[in-house]
Amino acid sequence: MTHSPYIPELATIVETFDETPDIKTFRVVLQDPARMAAFRFEPGQVGQLSVFGTGESTFVINSPPTRMDHLQFTVMRVGELTHRLHTLKAGDPVGLRAPLGNCFPYQDMKGRDIVFIGGGVGMAPLRTLLLFMLDNRADYGKITLIYGARTPEHLCYKEELKEWAERGDLRVELTVDNPDKGWTQRVGVVPAVLTELGTSAENAVAVTCGPPIMIRFTLQALEKLGFKDEQIVTTLERRMKCGVGICGRCNIGEKFVCVDGPVFTQAQLRQMPQEF
Amino acid sequence: MVVRFLPADAVADQTAAWARDYHVLAPVREGSAVVYRAYAKDMHPFLGRPPSSSAKEALLPQTENLFTYAYRKDRSDLTRTEVFLSEALPPEPTLILGPRPCDARGAHLLDRVFKERGVADPQYAAHRASALFVTVACEEPENTCFCHWTGGGPMDETGSDVLLFPVTDGFAARAITPAGEKLVAGIPEAPAAVQQELAAKLARAPEPGPAPDLSSLPERFLALFGDMDFWMDQSARCLSCGVCTYLCPTCSCFNITDETSGLAGRRLRTWDTCMSALYTLEGSGHNPRPSRAHRLRNRVGHKFCYHPREFAKLGLLEFSCTGCGRCIKSCPVSVDIRRIVLDVIEAGGKSAANANPEEKP
Repeated sequence: MTHSPYIPELATIVETFDETPDIKTFRVVLQDPARMAAFRFEPGQVGQLSVFGTGESTFVINSPPTRMDHLQFTVMRVGELTHRLHTLKAGDPVGLRAPLGNCFPYQDMKGRDIVFIGGGVGMAPLRTLLLFMLDNRADYGKITLIYGARTPEHLCYKEELKEWAERGDLRVELTVDNPDKGWTQRVGVVPAVLTELGTSAENAVAVTCGPPIMIRFTLQALEKLGFKDEQIVTTLERRMKCGVGICGRCNIGEKFVCVDGPVFTQAQLRQMPQEF
Repeated sequence: MVVRFLPADAVADQTAAWARDYHVLAPVREGSAVVYRAYAKDMHPFLGRPPSSSAKEALLPQTENLFTYAYRKDRSDLTRTEVFLSEALPPEPTLILGPRPCDARGAHLLDRVFKERGVADPQYAAHRASALFVTVACEEPENTCFCHWTGGGPMDETGSDVLLFPVTDGFAARAITPAGEKLVAGIPEAPAAVQQELAAKLARAPEPGPAPDLSSLPERFLALFGDMDFWMDQSARCLSCGVCTYLCPTCSCFNITDETSGLAGRRLRTWDTCMSALYTLEGSGHNPRPSRAHRLRNRVGHKFCYHPREFAKLGLLEFSCTGCGRCIKSCPVSVDIRRIVLDVIEAGGKSAANANPEEKP
């Protein structure tokens, strides 16, 4: 038989970080160095992480293809697999099926201003594209990041957020719903910040990922700012199993989020049966 | 074409002969059901009515190993483990006895998903390459049958290797494929009386009645997609039990789970059902199909809108339904997909006309 698309490659966790009380980041490398050296993917593509004995789940590869010393995944602890993943440490084996799905249309974004709009763990896919763009900085116009979470401690990638804010070649706007004593930045929901900034839609692309309620109001805010559906890019969450368009689970109409997505423009989503 | 005669009282011996070369699935009576069982000595296959379940388990077993895994502890450092994977064994060639023409056509619709969508599924392909269908042609359609709506027929040969026609005291057997020729080579040629009886049967094949024109279904379904009142009405009785999907020859959605014993285990694929609320439930608690109405809409949509739209690229209008009627016959609350389909055509037509008033005649 030819190689089964369901059999993962073996990988090893090399580093883990706590991002928030319930979000952890894992850095993994494929156990076979030749396979790791040959591994290629595009920003926005996802992988299925396996813990043998518990199962597998889909996560975006949130390190960019320009930084290939490891593959990074950020995991919120919500279900059985993610609980088990959170117990793993450096040196532990996992399985990986990647890359899966499509990618951000980063070629079409060249020469344009980019607005990243993220909420909570939805920052993970944005991180991939943001770092990719920073590593190819001259290809893109103004870059703005608007990122929010419930509280300051629920923001992911806190150290990097600081570094990005200090770089000077991108604008970083952080906001929280509930500030703590030390919080000096914005308070309020992400769509309100977007509206307040009055970000220009001219020659711009908005890339957004976050909880459904944030997405809904972000889309309204973007529309008011003059963004057309073609200028809004998002990446969808769906329960997935096979990851290769066969098991049927992640369909929206005749599209499968695992192969036709997870990245869609708002224009593409409007063409699909409205089942989100 | 050679017609052979398999006497009714020789079916068990012939099945035993096939079982020497193949993993045989044959229908047997169990209570009021007719179910496929792996061949066992002294088995008496029952070919008198369509099996209660479809033949898809010959190609997509209800539970199947995808691979096995084993953890090994590092003796020098017990906090460390290594993991080893092994591929599943290739499946044995399977012969399935007793499916109906609607079931044999189902195999060809499963191919669309497992062979023609882009990523090949080697396990399915291995089942498919070696599986043989010894199909029983239908004498009289049951009142739940509607194979003629979706392009089939009671004597349709599509997907079969051998077709058995019920005749007096047995079956007239006709090979459809070269593999089928080999299967029936040991069965004696039919006497003239059987040949005449078969010819007479074929000459007056059962007349299934008129079939509605389903060509507008994909568009009408989309026009009705957002009409939750319609889908609430259609699904009002539905229990989300999923029997329609498990018995369906073309429902092929599966789950993937791990089963561990000690330090080793296997990753399995198992039939799943989009009728279940858990099917699309995400870790966050969000569910894009929270109600029975959403889920029944997905099943109808998949069969009569999404599949035809996806495979329209082949230049044909094909539904992911063979009209076998099992979902109607076995539904505990009498949901009838024929009624839903006709209602979609009618209500979807009105809905589309309202959306585009200028197109009204």
